[in-house]
Amino acid sequence: MRHRRALELPLEDSAAAPAPRQAPASRSGDLLHPIVGRADAATIAPAELWLAVHLASPSPPAQQNLERLGARAQRLTPRVSLDPPDSLLLEIKGSLHLFGGVAGLSREMAGECSRLQMPCMLAVAPTPLAALALARAGRKLGVSPSRTADSAAVLTITDLAQLVGKLSPLPLAALRWPQDTLNRLARIGVRTIGEALRLPRAGFARRFGTVQLQTLDRLIGRVSDLKDRFEVRPRFRRRRELIYELESHAALLAVLTPLLAQLGEFLQARQCGVLTLECRLRHRGIPPTRCVLRLAAPLADAVQLATLLGERLNALVLPQPVRACELRSGPLVSRILASGELWQPGEHGGGAAAQAPELIERLRARLGPEAVYGLRVIEDHRPEAAWQVREPVMTLPAAARGSQNDPWPFGHRPPWLLPVPRQLNERDGLPRRRGALRLLGEAERIETGWWDGHEIARDYYTAVDARGARLWVFRERELPHRWFLHGVFG
Amino acid sequence: MARDLSRLLEHPAIWRGRSAARTRTLSTGFPALDEGLPGGGWPHTGLIEILPSCFGVGELSLLLPALAAMTRRPEARWCAWVAPPLQPFAPALAECGVAPERILVVNARRKDAKGKSALWAFEQMLRSGACDIALAWLRNALPRQIRRLHLAAEQGATLGVLFRPRETARESSPAALRIAVEPAAPGVRVTLLKSRGGARSAIELPAR
Repeated sequence: MRHRRALELPLEDSAAAPAPRQAPASRSGDLLHPIVGRADAATIAPAELWLAVHLASPSPPAQQNLERLGARAQRLTPRVSLDPPDSLLLEIKGSLHLFGGVAGLSREMAGECSRLQMPCMLAVAPTPLAALALARAGRKLGVSPSRTADSAAVLTITDLAQLVGKLSPLPLAALRWPQDTLNRLARIGVRTIGEALRLPRAGFARRFGTVQLQTLDRLIGRVSDLKDRFEVRPRFRRRRELIYELESHAALLAVLTPLLAQLGEFLQARQCGVLTLECRLRHRGIPPTRCVLRLAAPLADAVQLATLLGERLNALVLPQPVRACELRSGPLVSRILASGELWQPGEHGGGAAAQAPELIERLRARLGPEAVYGLRVIEDHRPEAAWQVREPVMTLPAAARGSQNDPWPFGHRPPWLLPVPRQLNERDGLPRRRGALRLLGEAERIETGWWDGHEIARDYYTAVDARGARLWVFRERELPHRWFLHGVFG
Repeated sequence: MARDLSRLLEHPAIWRGRSAARTRTLSTGFPALDEGLPGGGWPHTGLIEILPSCFGVGELSLLLPALAAMTRRPEARWCAWVAPPLQPFAPALAECGVAPERILVVNARRKDAKGKSALWAFEQMLRSGACDIALAWLRNALPRQIRRLHLAAEQGATLGVLFRPRETARESSPAALRIAVEPAAPGVRVTLLKSRGGARSAIELPAR
C-alpha cells in the first residue's frame, strides 16, 4: 500500500484538482490500476475552464472598447486575454465558486457587456479555442446574442470527454481559417469540425497546412494553448490643490514641476514613456482649461516635459485664475534607451537622429502640431495630387530620381506651388501680373482625373513677368478659358 | 617660426583681408559660381544671406544642386524650410535630385509680432544640430538677431540660408556671405555683396 500512496501523490499535489469520480475506483483495491499521471489527471478533470465572450455587433469594436471590457472582466478572474478584433477569453475555473458557478459568472459577464452596450455571445469550454468556436457559432446554433444580463444564453461544455462530440456539428468557419482552405475542405465534403477531425492527420497536415492541424489539436485540448494575459496599462494621474489662486504662467509651471518630477520617477521606474500628457487647470465655477501635449517619441524626462509643457502653457489664455491643477498621462509606452554618442552632432561621425524628435516636439509645442511636417511624392500627373504631407520621421531616401535608369516621368515642375491656383487678370487673351506676362516655350497639357472626382483640363506654360520672376501658369481648356497662377520657379 | 606662423594662419577661424578664408565648402553645382565664392563653394556652417530682387527670379535654383548633394548623403540630417512663402513642391524637388524624405517644413506664418515665431523656429533649427541646412524666409531681422543666428548655426554645425528682400542690402549684416540675385537675359546674375575674399564682379549663370 505504501508505494500506492507514493504513486498517488503527484495527483494530489497538482492544483488541477483530482477527479472525485476516480477516487473510489482507485481505492477499490485493484493493484493493476494504471498509474495516473499529471496529464491524465488533466484529461479526466479539465484543469482549465474558459469563458469566451464574442461581441456580436455587426462591425468589430474598437481595440479601445475591447480593452475597456477586458479591464472590467478582470473583476471576475485575473486571467483575461484579448482575442482581437472581437473576442475576449476568461479562464474561470478558479473563480467559479465565488460567483455561483458557470451560470452566475456568465450572468456577471453578460452584465458587464450590457453596461457597455455591447451585445455578446458567451460560451464555456475546457479549451480556449473551443469556447471561442462555440461563441462564434452560437448564432448558427439558434442562440441570439444577449443584450441584457438576464437573457444571457450560454453554450456550455464543462466535460472534456464531451468536447469532441459537442464540437463536431459546428461549421469549420467558426475556426476562422483562411477562406481558401475552407473552400478546399468544402470541395472534399468537409464542412464541420467533426468531419475535419476524422481526416487522417498526416494527409491533413500535408494538404491543408500544419498550422491548421495545430489549431485542431489546440481545439480539442491535445496540446495546451497558451494565451497572453491582458493587463490594464497603468496611467499616471495626480492632482494638486493650490492654497491661493494663480494667474501667472511662470508660477503655474513652478507648481506643476513637482508633479512632473513625480511623473518622471513613475515613468522611469517602469521603463516607460508617455506619448500624450494632459494638464487640466481648474477654475472657480467654469469648466477646466485643458492643455494636451502630444509627443513624437516616448518621453520620460521630467525636465524635457517641463520645457515642452511650458511652451504650451505660455500659448494658453487663462479665462480665470487657477485653483487646482491635475496631470494625466496617456497610455504608457515602453521606451528603449539609446546609448549616448561619442561625437557631438555635426562633428565628424556624429549623428543627429537622436536629437531630431526633441527638436520637432519643441517646434510643435509652440507652433502647433500641423505646422511641422515632412513631404512625400505621389505618382500622379496632377500637380495638386502629386504630393502629400507626412509625419516628419527620418527614413532612408528612395533611389535618386532623375538618373538615367529612372527618368522623371513628367515635365519640368516649379519648386513652389500655390496651395490653391490664383486667378490672373487678362487682356487680349493673355495673362497679366504686374504687367503683361511673357510665355516661354510650348504648353504642357495636363488633364483627366475622373477616378477621384478631381478632373482637370489645363494647358501649363512657363511665363516671365516684368520683374523677371518665372511663373508657372495655366489656361483652362474649358470656357471661359481663364488664366491661373499655380507655381513659381524659385 | 615662419612655418609655425603660416600653420597658425591656416586656422579656419582666421581670415585675412586679401586671401580667401580656408573653410570647408560644398560645391554649388555651378562651376562659374564655385570659382567666384570663397573656398570654391557654399560654406558648411554659418549663416549666408541671399537677397533676390524679387521672389522667383531663380534664387532657390542656386541652392538646389547643393541640396541634392546634401540630402543624398547616407549620414544626411534634416533639410529644414522655415516659414516658406509658398508650398514647397515635392515632385519638383525630387526631380532636381533632392530627397523629399529629408525635408522638414516648418510653417510659422501665424500672425505674431514681426515674424518672431519664424525667427525662433529658425534659431532652434540651427542650434539643434539636427539639420544639415536650414532655409528661412524672414522679412524683418535685426543685425543682432542675425548675429545670434550665425552663432547658432556655428554651434549646430548647420548652414543657415536666409532669404530676404533686396531692399535689405543697405542694412549691415553679420552674415558671412551676402549674395544679391537678379534676373539676366538667359539666367540669373549673382553679385557678392559681402564675402571673405570672393569675386568682386557679378557672375552670370545660365538658365537651368
